Amino acid sequence: MRILLTLLLVYIANPAVAQQENDLGTEAQRAEGKEVYDIKCAHCHGYEGDASAVATPYLRPTPRDFTSGNYKFRSTASGELPTTEDIKRSIRLGMPYTSMPAWEGILSETEITNLAYYLKTFESAFDGPYGNPTVVEIPRAPSYSADPDHLARGREVFEANQCADCHGENGRGNGESAPELVDDWGYPIRAADMTKRWTFRASATREDIYRTFMTGLNGTPMPSYEQTIDEEDRWALVDYVWSLSRDTPDYGTTVTVQGRSGELVLGDSLFEAAPETYFPIVGQIIEPGRAFYPGVNGISVKAVYNESEIAIQLQWHDMTAETEGMNNPGIEVPMFDPAQPDTLMDGWSDAVAALLPSRTPEGLERPYFMFGDSRFPMSIWYTDLATDSAAVLTGQGSGRIADNGIALERSASYEDGVWTVQFKGPRSRGELTMSEATFVPISFTVWDGFNGERGNKRGISAWYHLYLQPMETQSAVLPMAKWFLIVLGAELLIVALVNLRARRRKTA
Amino acid sequence: MNLFMLLAIAAAMVLIQFVVTRWVKLNRLAWMGIWWAALWAAFSYGINPPLPNSIIVLFMAIITIALVAYLSADNEELKQAKESIVRFMVTRQYRVALLIVMLVIPGAVAAWIFASMNEAPQPPSSGRTIHPPPPSSITFQGTSINLTTANNPIRELQHTDEAAFAEHVANGRRIYFENCFYCHGDNMEGAGMFAHGYDPLPANFNDATTIAMLQESYLFWRIAKGAPGLPSESTPWSSAMPAWEDFLTEEEIWDVIIFLYEFTGFEPRAQGMPH
Ligand code: HEC
Ligand code: HEC
Ligand code: HEC
Repeated sequence: MRILLTLLLVYIANPAVAQQENDLGTEAQRAEGKEVYDIKCAHCHGYEGDASAVATPYLRPTPRDFTSGNYKFRSTASGELPTTEDIKRSIRLGMPYTSMPAWEGILSETEITNLAYYLKTFESAFDGPYGNPTVVEIPRAPSYSADPDHLARGREVFEANQCADCHGENGRGNGESAPELVDDWGYPIRAADMTKRWTFRASATREDIYRTFMTGLNGTPMPSYEQTIDEEDRWALVDYVWSLSRDTPDYGTTVTVQGRSGELVLGDSLFEAAPETYFPIVGQIIEPGRAFYPGVNGISVKAVYNESEIAIQLQWHDMTAETEGMNNPGIEVPMFDPAQPDTLMDGWSDAVAALLPSRTPEGLERPYFMFGDSRFPMSIWYTDLATDSAAVLTGQGSGRIADNGIALERSASYEDGVWTVQFKGPRSRGELTMSEATFVPISFTVWDGFNGERGNKRGISAWYHLYLQPMETQSAVLPMAKWFLIVLGAELLIVALVNLRARRRKTA
Repeated sequence: MNLFMLLAIAAAMVLIQFVVTRWVKLNRLAWMGIWWAALWAAFSYGINPPLPNSIIVLFMAIITIALVAYLSADNEELKQAKESIVRFMVTRQYRVALLIVMLVIPGAVAAWIFASMNEAPQPPSSGRTIHPPPPSSITFQGTSINLTTANNPIRELQHTDEAAFAEHVANGRRIYFENCFYCHGDNMEGAGMFAHGYDPLPANFNDATTIAMLQESYLFWRIAKGAPGLPSESTPWSSAMPAWEDFLTEEEIWDVIIFLYEFTGFEPRAQGMPH
């Protein structure tokens, strides 16, 4: 309705729009588009294009309802329909970190064009006077400038336009109104985390960011700022947003754990100089409690050790801190909670765990990564962030988690969208010893209470490693010198002998 | 296979054979050195995924022995080779070259020690068996299924009752898009939205080395028993493949198997053929 109204206004203001031909393709193109659509797209977007399909209840964001005419990615003014080229681009590139795949390379350019024409048939407005939308010109991006004044100007524009209300003071998606945001279909939607621009839906070049706040994302609370941000300020804002994130997630596989002399006192300064590794977190969809849309998508890890102890720091972005209620890895959860508009749940607190084997592994063997099994139990370094304690639990599989009363030192804080949890425990407990210069398997689990995550409904990671860097690394100089001299000596001996013999033969 | 690298090596060999020899006469020993270097380059850089260092060292040792044996099989050649080495060591004219060689060899040894001591330590790598032999029978929801004789009961319909078959395909499609595509991907290429968080990666069904070379009964086993059903050489503890016996019925599993083949256009390997 809102769309129609805006379109009507545009129409009244600019009757010339109606005179141009709408780009709807031919009958044959649309028919061919339908053929591909029914095989490749209908199970998510629905045979009628209305997003009522088998996969829909398990997906958030929900697949686009094409009958609404709302498209996030557009080169056109706020509230207007997209161009054919816009739709084709969305199909080609997909939407990262959602279930919408990139079809480039899988479907041909012709098939993608036909699909775009077919999608247009779901919304009659494409066939009417509004089917010819006004394109917002995106100028070519000047090269990126990290000039402090320029970025400070960008920050001012960011503040003046209240981007922080939704995106958070430092762009971590944790703004004050972020928890209440819903899309036009009533489903909860999260403001983008600007410190992870690889998760942006509509690509993340600087032109894309420019276009996003110029055109807004239809169907979402993300508005258009075409009218409010002056031309000369736009690139400053783009560059400020750009400066908040690295280019790629740089997912790692090993945390390098550095040795420290003296006591490990939990706190920020302990981890200051330690190298950080970032790991992906994905939904647990292997056992009941399937988490199809986990609230957390990555975790940063640092660790240090001394003669007897190891300290591990886990950091992740979370829109809100749930420090009320309770959580526990053993809570029973149904197969899955359907993605209803009202799934925001009270009562579950945030929680986190670092998962370790219960004994020093031999070779490749380790506990089953879903909380272990009876063959090889898991040590679960767990803390419920509604409490101020932590414990080492023993896992022999989901639902078989025992608390043997082993306490663990921990510190936890939440600041501006970031949870920081630090654990400290002995390097050697029971049958597990974390020795210097060895790889210790480790895996991570995060519960976002806001998202109803509890028990086995959680964000998980694969097995990765901690590597305890030896406190004293052996210098290579001595062995190098030794072997250089040995080999050289052997050569000299051979050459001398050969020469001697040759001379003897000559004289003989 | 890194074809580009292999072609480059072959081209270099051809160049030496037909062009360089016009100006420089290469004796037997030089040729053997060149062959040795070419094979080493091919093993080290021409193969994808790269061979482990220990394997390359083993291959090169075998090749060295073979070349020495080749050389010493002919007395005349052995003598020639020996003489050319001796000449290099005693002739005044080669003094500088000899000195360089004598410094380069221990230098290379030292460099190798430096590199191996400064190498970033590697985590134990998983030499995982992707397709272990299946058990001969499994217990599925209380009944025993013999995997060597089990056939997909839906297959028959393909030729006898097309409408019923299409219904099973549609049901398989529903099951796949309710349960599997988060990992195995929309297009069955193993790149679903959660795939980047799992190790090993979900299987790519478009690849000719997965379902295209497996029997339907093998797939039944893998789908019903998932990762926990794998033997230890297949690292069951790290695979994310769920055990579907707890969530799907026998017919549903056969349906989704049919759908995997229909969607990718592959034919299952016939029953009775060895794996
Ligand atoms: C596995 C489910 C799935 C499949 C299959 C799928 N999509 Fe999507 N699609 C989505 C989701 C989810 C979104 C919404 C993403 C978002 O809002 O961030 C979406 C969004 C879109 C959009 C809207 C982009 C925008 O700017 O708002 C288009 C266009 C689209 N899909 C086309 C297609 C086409 C064409 C196909 C088939 C070739 C297809 N999709 C297959 C899940 C899917
Ligand atoms: C009313 C809340 C709100 C305000 C205010 C807001 N945004 Fe957003 N923004 C959102 C939401 C919600 C999303 C996520 C949409 C989605 O996931 O599809 C988003 C997404 C984005 C994205 C990522 C787009 C993509 O491709 O995924 C960028 C960039 C962005 N906003 C920039 C801004 C800037 C710059 C401002 C201030 C000028 C701003 N936003 C103000 C709600 C808001
Ligand atoms: C949580 C992610 C996940 C889900 C969901 C999932 N799989 Fe898998 N699957 C995997 C992984 C990872 C592998 C490869 C490792 C292995 O062989 O166990 C795999 C392997 C397989 C194989 C073996 C292929 C081969 O070449 O041996 C089959 C068959 C299979 N999956 C079918 C399915 C079906 C059918 C479904 C849905 C009912 C499904 N999978 C759901 C992760 C998943």
